[in-house]
Amino acid sequence: MKEEIIKIKEEILSELKKIKESKALSDLETKYLGRKGKLTVFLKQIANLSDEEKQKIGRLANETKQEMIRKFKEARSVISGETEAGFIDVTLPGEKRLLGHLHPITIVQNELEDLFRSMGFMVLDGPELESDYFNFEALNIPKSHPARDMQDTFYIATPHPNPLPHPQPLSFARRGERKERGQEEASVDQSDMVMRTHTSPVQVRGMLKYGAPLRCVAPGRVFRAEAIDAVHEHTFDQMEGLMVDKNISIGNLIAVMKELINSMFGRAVETRVRPGYFPFVEPGIELDIKCTICLGKGCPGCKHSGWLELLPAGQVHPRVLEYGGIDPNKYSGFAFGLGLTRLAMMKYKINDIRLFNSGDLRFLKQF
Amino acid sequence: MYLSLNWLKDFVNIPRSVSAEDLGLKLTTHTVEIDGVIKEAKKYDNIVVGKIKEVKPHPNADKLQLALVDIGSGEERIVCGASNIIVGQKVPVALVGAKLPNGVEITEAEIRGIKSRGMLCAEDELGLGNDHLGILILDKKARVGQNFGECLGLKDVIYEVDNKSITHRPDLWSHYGMAREVATFLNAKTTKLFNKLGQEEIMPDSEDVEVSVKVEDQKLCPRYMAVVMDSIKIQASPEWLRERLIAVGERPVNNIVDITNYAMLELGQPLHAFDARFLKAEFSTDNKVKIGVRRAKKGEIITTLDGEKKDLDESMLLITDQIKPVAIAGVMGGENSEINNETTAIVLESANFDFVSVRKTSSLLGLRTEASKRFEKALDPNFCEPALKRVIELIKQVCPTAKVVSKVADEKKFKLNQGPIELDLNWLADFIGGEVERDKAVNILVSLGFIVDGKKDKLLVTVPTWRATKDISIKEDLAEEIVRIIGYDNLKFKMPGVEMKAPELNKERQFEREIKNVLAGSGLTEVKNYSFVGVDQLKKLGVEYNKHIRLVNPITKDSGLLRQSLATNLILNVKTNQARNDHFEIFEIGNVFLPIEGNLPRNNKDGTVLPMQVKRLGILVAGEEGTDVFGCAKGAIELLASYFHLSVKYEAMETGPAWAKSGYNAQIMLGKEIIGSISRVSQNSSRKYNIKKAVAIVELDLNKLYQTVRAQGGYRHEEFARFPALIRDLAFVVSEKVLYNDIRNEILGFSELIKKVELFDVYRNEKLGSSKKNLAFHIVYQTNRTLTGEEVDEVQAKLIKKLKDRFEAQIRDF
Repeated sequence: MKEEIIKIKEEILSELKKIKESKALSDLETKYLGRKGKLTVFLKQIANLSDEEKQKIGRLANETKQEMIRKFKEARSVISGETEAGFIDVTLPGEKRLLGHLHPITIVQNELEDLFRSMGFMVLDGPELESDYFNFEALNIPKSHPARDMQDTFYIATPHPNPLPHPQPLSFARRGERKERGQEEASVDQSDMVMRTHTSPVQVRGMLKYGAPLRCVAPGRVFRAEAIDAVHEHTFDQMEGLMVDKNISIGNLIAVMKELINSMFGRAVETRVRPGYFPFVEPGIELDIKCTICLGKGCPGCKHSGWLELLPAGQVHPRVLEYGGIDPNKYSGFAFGLGLTRLAMMKYKINDIRLFNSGDLRFLKQF
Repeated sequence: MYLSLNWLKDFVNIPRSVSAEDLGLKLTTHTVEIDGVIKEAKKYDNIVVGKIKEVKPHPNADKLQLALVDIGSGEERIVCGASNIIVGQKVPVALVGAKLPNGVEITEAEIRGIKSRGMLCAEDELGLGNDHLGILILDKKARVGQNFGECLGLKDVIYEVDNKSITHRPDLWSHYGMAREVATFLNAKTTKLFNKLGQEEIMPDSEDVEVSVKVEDQKLCPRYMAVVMDSIKIQASPEWLRERLIAVGERPVNNIVDITNYAMLELGQPLHAFDARFLKAEFSTDNKVKIGVRRAKKGEIITTLDGEKKDLDESMLLITDQIKPVAIAGVMGGENSEINNETTAIVLESANFDFVSVRKTSSLLGLRTEASKRFEKALDPNFCEPALKRVIELIKQVCPTAKVVSKVADEKKFKLNQGPIELDLNWLADFIGGEVERDKAVNILVSLGFIVDGKKDKLLVTVPTWRATKDISIKEDLAEEIVRIIGYDNLKFKMPGVEMKAPELNKERQFEREIKNVLAGSGLTEVKNYSFVGVDQLKKLGVEYNKHIRLVNPITKDSGLLRQSLATNLILNVKTNQARNDHFEIFEIGNVFLPIEGNLPRNNKDGTVLPMQVKRLGILVAGEEGTDVFGCAKGAIELLASYFHLSVKYEAMETGPAWAKSGYNAQIMLGKEIIGSISRVSQNSSRKYNIKKAVAIVELDLNKLYQTVRAQGGYRHEEFARFPALIRDLAFVVSEKVLYNDIRNEILGFSELIKKVELFDVYRNEKLGSSKKNLAFHIVYQTNRTLTGEEVDEVQAKLIKKLKDRFEAQIRDF
């Protein structure tokens, strides 16, 4: 009797292993545990046994039946997700947790700040409303320097006791027409302050504050008086870099820039260096990288040249060092500028610059 | 600026091994940025020579004709407006897909009901001249179907120079100057023409005319040369001259004007020709020309060659005859002395003007010309002479009857600082990061026109006049000359050998980053808005705008002021997003600009400071009307505070910002410091902006928050309490007017045994009565011994009595 119970149990277990879907499972259950099932029927025989044997076998029989019921349950929950609480769809998504989003410029800026800090650079800040002195003069761009034409500058008006309701957008008016508005001109006299056109003024502020040697970067917002379209913005972000120390050479400059670019892109990037003109460096260079889109074959993205302009840089002009209170006979250094907005556009393949300041969540929630 | 390869070849022998593309690349890596290399024949892609097979009147239009044209590969029917075509002629045909030099793109068109596939071109449409009257008729020998560019024999290559990259190089605004560069970096020879150009003395054919120049301000006009030529016949320029001008984008006008332009493009010196008849006094009667150079008088007016009247002022320099202005110096000539078809005698001007003055004048008048572009870079006054000689030579060549009938007037006063500059080759090696052989350095400099002297490692370098106006004055400038010719990519790149040093941490920046991460991590999205606001925008919000800092030249009316608050632009973000989002939470960290003195110096001289610029954190929560956006925004602040182990408190504010809903304004406090405020946007403001959401806005002073966090020092962990706490819950109903802050303070201050009070529920309903709220607190009792239930119950009973007395609280049972 005992052996037979164990035999049936093993039979059930071996058949259970083969079951892959719920209909077969139900059939199997009926076959053994149903009212006329094999195990059920067999156990009914126990009633006919002597009391002594009943006691001996009864316990085993009961345990076996309970165990089998459990086994079928387990098998069912494995096959169809049935649990004690009922059916659940395990393929459903989880409970929603809300994650916010950093602005893409912030993400790119953070990455670069970390990279530069790892190379020993401090991160500095500078004012967005800047003086003509720091934005131009101390950078070797005196008044009437043609380089001032290179950047369309937003000028700050002098405070006026009774300002007019509307400052006029002059950039659209032909400058020659300005006189005709007579009175209005009086209310928008130009002060000696501007919205900074680049992050370069932080170079001089940094030198004055920390002296030499100095390694720093200065990320931040800059402004150009330009009408907006898909590729032009009047507000965008840059990152300025400066290194001043003893015997800093052009070879050093290019080596650091190449290291920086390779880290930024996470691979060795082919570069080319050519002359570039910026009044606050001498000599000035432009560092181009092999176009990341066409890999140098030529495409609309690189104006079919195979190269992308990435990094204007140069040896700090001795006059700028002097403005920064540093003796150009003892120290030399280099400066460079990175377009954060441009890098973010490259990184995320964004082709409309207006999206950055749009406040549109369809855009911002992608980062 | 455009450069013609053929023209460059006049001055430098370019080896055959250097292709046109190579030369472009080399110009870019050694000298100037080349934006494009254009093979000239390409300009006429899809324009071919066609032969007219048939001409019929257009059935639906009197003035149009219908031509059948053989284009080699087939025949096309083309509608034509010009009347000069006859069967058998060969004409330029722009096929569908062609892009004409004037920008017109040819597509298949239906003209008065007849399909036309292409266009027969007139001279002006091809950028070859001004004639628009008839179709350009080609030579009989032209091959049908041939590309029009090839037919013209166009083999030139045009380089487009990025003008920004030659802002500092007055000498490079010409083919001659560029040729010197090309010869240097290719190590190629210059031509005979390069060496003799403009060297020959001017021999007057007669001295019948007396020309005199009076310069009033020699600082503004360091040099003025003038000469008179007679027996001129104005006509179209010869083909070679026209071709060159067209190749570099200059439209031919007539021989005299073309030659002055040609000389400018060749040598970089702008020149001007006046019609001598119109210069008083009195060329025609006295054979005298008197030219004056003076500042304009206030209110003086001149009509320039472009036909526009220009108001002048005292800052502008004029060229005059005895009685009237005839040109704006260095910018544009006057209409009153313009060359026309009857001109027979001219006065040639070759002069130099102060770069600052020309730049100012041209920008004040909004008049940027090829001449002003060059003068404002600070041209070498020595250019005047070879340029004048070259013009005379060309005029005599093109117009053989022409005679020089005066001596050359030459008023000059200038001094250039040519150095010499000392260049120590050891310093150079340090500066570049590698040795340069003496011979190599000397060869480069000499090829660029420098004169090199000095012994061994110490060179004494004299700067050529054309680089001495502004461009080169220090040894670093010389280093650039040498290194760019060697090529930057040929240097040794080596990392700087400096002391290893951990950078000073910018804690505020780090703090800002933490805030962004906490907020973004808890579901808020970062936005960046413009720093500018507009008057109308502030008016709508009822914000006072007169005290805002203003821009002189805003892009639009809506962006003329600098923001004093982040809220004003954050509100606009609701408009952008409300249609697509039921509920959203955003934040911004940015500067606001206040019209009071800040703490950053304006310069290093006089102690003046910039206006105050403060960094703020703005948080905006927008949700469906009726949802608790106010509480939601507070939650974000509290989360942020708890991240820094701080707790915030709110104090009711009598008045908030002008756009806020009354009664929905609170100050946000950290300890006793007010760090910002929170407000709900009023319905009135929402309506004006068409905002359909409930909106709450928080604005915090980031620096104050930072200082508070800093002041608490490093965070130290708290030991677990050794004795257990007993917690009693307490719920009661009070009037809405009773403030949470007061209740909380009352409970906390009631007994030393009470360690913490935590509000866990607030609700309102009709049963409680209007303007009532039910508050439920956990009250935590704890001290440095084990408390018994009895003693806590005793305190709690007294507390309940106190709350009843002070706040008329009705205690509720659980």
